Amino acid sequence: MGSSSADGARLPPSRAGSRLCVRCGERKAALKRPKTLEQICRECFYIVFEDEIHQTIVDNTLFKAGERVAIGASGGKDSTVLAYVISELNRRHNYGLDLFLLSVDEGITGYRDDSLETVKRNEIQYGLPLKIVSYKDLYGWTMDDIVKAIGLKNNCTFCGVFRRQALDRGAALLKADKIVTGHNADDIAETVLLNILRGDIARLSRCTFITTGEDGPIPRCKPFKYTYEKEIVIYPFWTTFPQNVIPGIYSPNAYRGFAREFIKDLERMRPRSILDIIKSGENFRISTTTRMPEQGTCERCGYISSQKLCKACVLLDGLNRGLPKLGIGRTKAGPGAERNTSRLQGKHGNFDF
Amino acid sequence: MAAASACGGAGCGPHCSSSSGSAAGAEEDAPAERMARLSIATGAATTCGKCDGGAPTVAASGGAGMCRECFRAHLFGKFKLAVTSNAMVRPTDAVLLALSGGPASRVALQFIHAMQSKAIQSWETSNSQALPAFGVGVAFVDESVVLARPEHETQTATEDIKSIVSSLSPGDKQVHVAPLEDVFSSGSEDKVARLKEVVGMIDDETGRDDFIRCLRMLSLQKIALENGYTKIMLGTCASGIACHVLSATVKGQGYSLPADVQYVDTRWEVPVVLPLHDCLAQELSLLCELDSLKMQQLLDRPCRGINSLVASFVSRLREENPSREHTILRTAQKLKPFSFNKFSANGYHDFLPSRLRPKFQNVDTNESTFSEILCLICGSPFSESELQNLENTKHKAQKKIDLYTAHCCQSCHFQILPSATDTYGQFFSLLPKFWTEKVDTASASSLRDQIEDYLLEDDDEN
Amino acid sequence: MHLTLEFGGGLELLLENSTKVHKVDVPIMDGEGKVAMKGLLSWVKANLIKERPEMFVKGDSVRPGVLVLINDCDWELCGGLDAELEEKDVVVFISTLHGG
Repeated sequence: MGSSSADGARLPPSRAGSRLCVRCGERKAALKRPKTLEQICRECFYIVFEDEIHQTIVDNTLFKAGERVAIGASGGKDSTVLAYVISELNRRHNYGLDLFLLSVDEGITGYRDDSLETVKRNEIQYGLPLKIVSYKDLYGWTMDDIVKAIGLKNNCTFCGVFRRQALDRGAALLKADKIVTGHNADDIAETVLLNILRGDIARLSRCTFITTGEDGPIPRCKPFKYTYEKEIVIYPFWTTFPQNVIPGIYSPNAYRGFAREFIKDLERMRPRSILDIIKSGENFRISTTTRMPEQGTCERCGYISSQKLCKACVLLDGLNRGLPKLGIGRTKAGPGAERNTSRLQGKHGNFDF
Repeated sequence: MAAASACGGAGCGPHCSSSSGSAAGAEEDAPAERMARLSIATGAATTCGKCDGGAPTVAASGGAGMCRECFRAHLFGKFKLAVTSNAMVRPTDAVLLALSGGPASRVALQFIHAMQSKAIQSWETSNSQALPAFGVGVAFVDESVVLARPEHETQTATEDIKSIVSSLSPGDKQVHVAPLEDVFSSGSEDKVARLKEVVGMIDDETGRDDFIRCLRMLSLQKIALENGYTKIMLGTCASGIACHVLSATVKGQGYSLPADVQYVDTRWEVPVVLPLHDCLAQELSLLCELDSLKMQQLLDRPCRGINSLVASFVSRLREENPSREHTILRTAQKLKPFSFNKFSANGYHDFLPSRLRPKFQNVDTNESTFSEILCLICGSPFSESELQNLENTKHKAQKKIDLYTAHCCQSCHFQILPSATDTYGQFFSLLPKFWTEKVDTASASSLRDQIEDYLLEDDDEN
Repeated sequence: MHLTLEFGGGLELLLENSTKVHKVDVPIMDGEGKVAMKGLLSWVKANLIKERPEMFVKGDSVRPGVLVLINDCDWELCGGLDAELEEKDVVVFISTLHGG
């Protein structure tokens, strides 16, 4: 049970907070919604929270009946709430989806134990089948093996590249038609800003798409695109949700950290600015003549790649041939290489081991 | 007009990140830190990386230092390139420079003066055979009323500005000092009260800030129109544009953003040009320091709300990576500009040497010259959804206030219009007539169109 | 005044032994026998936070991105920094700044 509500019916406090919910007009408001600034009660919060996500799914036709959908499950708050809400909505509105949880085990001793525990609990609680794919399955190497082969210094390159592909490869392995991820409005606003800060116009043009990779084998979509992080954090709080969500380590040094903090400062000053950033991202006039990196597929694995071999295959090549440094470093080989590096910088902030 | 607003109609100075609120404060507190990457070199023994001559005075990030002359020439080169490659100034132009007293507009004054002097010189030495020299004037918008600044301070400041300008010869430069409240037509009896009332009706702090910037642009337009200027030059610099890129994004103005970050902006009656587009605020302040260019810091006006949050974010990014502002600018440059972001009038480029003319003449003739609907207040071109909303309102044909409201972009709607819709009438009645009249004329003509359509249909039926 | 404080979303890592729930006795700081959130925050910063206080507070408020619930109610509805606490109240701090 969500923390303090465990000790039963508490008397409503007799303080300034006892305003009524603007939606039902009956119960005491418990939350100020960042999106609308409305004060609503717990019960109404659950209704509007879930309804809005349903609406997003319907308006954007994110799913078709009969699809097999992989829910990217990291054990973090976003994916945990996502798994719950999607399975609930699937039941309630008869989406007809074949849902399963998909987790990636990098094979780092100790690192994923907790989060995999959370995911396993989700499996039982929501009755969703859980599939765990390991780096060993996907690449033939665990992260620990890679570290052994190349030392601690360079493994971030591997992490970034492998991690980026792992979900797609896992989903392909499990014959999914679609992947859903828990990226929320704050995440997307942050990505818009980061792409502006690093001049990545190609990513800027597609980072606000609710579904990406439609031309690829497995599209990814983000049902939480318009959902505020604040509400996702609060969502499990008042329910019978598992509480011990695993925190990542926040790195205050990277400029990703600055951007996140900037967004939170903005949210305090003007909550709608998060949605405004997303709106800006959707409306940018990106000239059609802007050269977009061509997206082909990797000759070896079929993954999207602008080069002959995708970055992961290049790295694997090196590992398998005992030349692990192959493919590391800024070979100004082309847009592909650049893209991977920037992605790496981006993800580096919240990845730590 | 977020454009002009980005860095302020009155020049980049007080509003761009370099000298705005928090950033400026930080700089003064820690001059050593500010100079960390771009600094006055002290005791370095090497020579200037450019001319190998003088001792390096400026330590630029990453590269070899530059001597003062080379540093100035480097910045002047960027300025001149922006002016010439965008055909910003023609020999027949009278240029009105918006001076805020801050470093950016101060440098712009110095540079445009240098260009003018050279033109005057060649005109004189050629016995009036060369192209005539363009004229330059200086405008200062006095915002004491909204800033609640004591009158004597403003007086001192304007005297300073006048003395700075008068020290620059050859080329007489008139100084125009206009109080912000002059944007209200001369008929209104108490302009100060009207300005205060309309600003007071805006609840949002950021909205108030932006509204005043819009008024400042209007004020510059008015000075230019009344005194026969043909161009308005702003000191908006790369750092200010970088801030604007982020703040516009944050305000949901992603669509209209590219209109504000180009070298040229002809959507106003008098076109606006930004020759310092590629110079960083830091570089400009440094040049002021090196050349002891007198500034007028009394006039510094901190920005507020989201604008100030963005300014401190950008200054933090700059500390982490000095080229970040350029990267932001580069991103914005990849967005598609609007048709009004270049000079396209017939014969505009005739004065150019014939070898340069083709560069400007491949103007896409298919592109509609100027059909954008602009926000009544800020001048942002309307996005599709804003146009849709405007169309819907027009078709319902009702009160004028609804039409005015529909002529405001979504951002102004949120942050500038009062929160109580029943006060819209009062709010619009207080706005400068210049803004509302445009809607009146537009709606009158569209009404005429509708009537004509109606009559035509009638004819058809007969 | 006896209060229960809970820290989550990674904030517990800033506390001794990463303990999430703290039953504390906060001294009354003003003359009227009350504890306001503002006072509680400075007390927490001085007495519970062991490292990186900047992850918890910014200025005189919590760092933006830290969610505060007073008896399960969003503190923005209770008056924010001026919210007055009562005996046996439960105050929850959750950071949203950590990984998802």
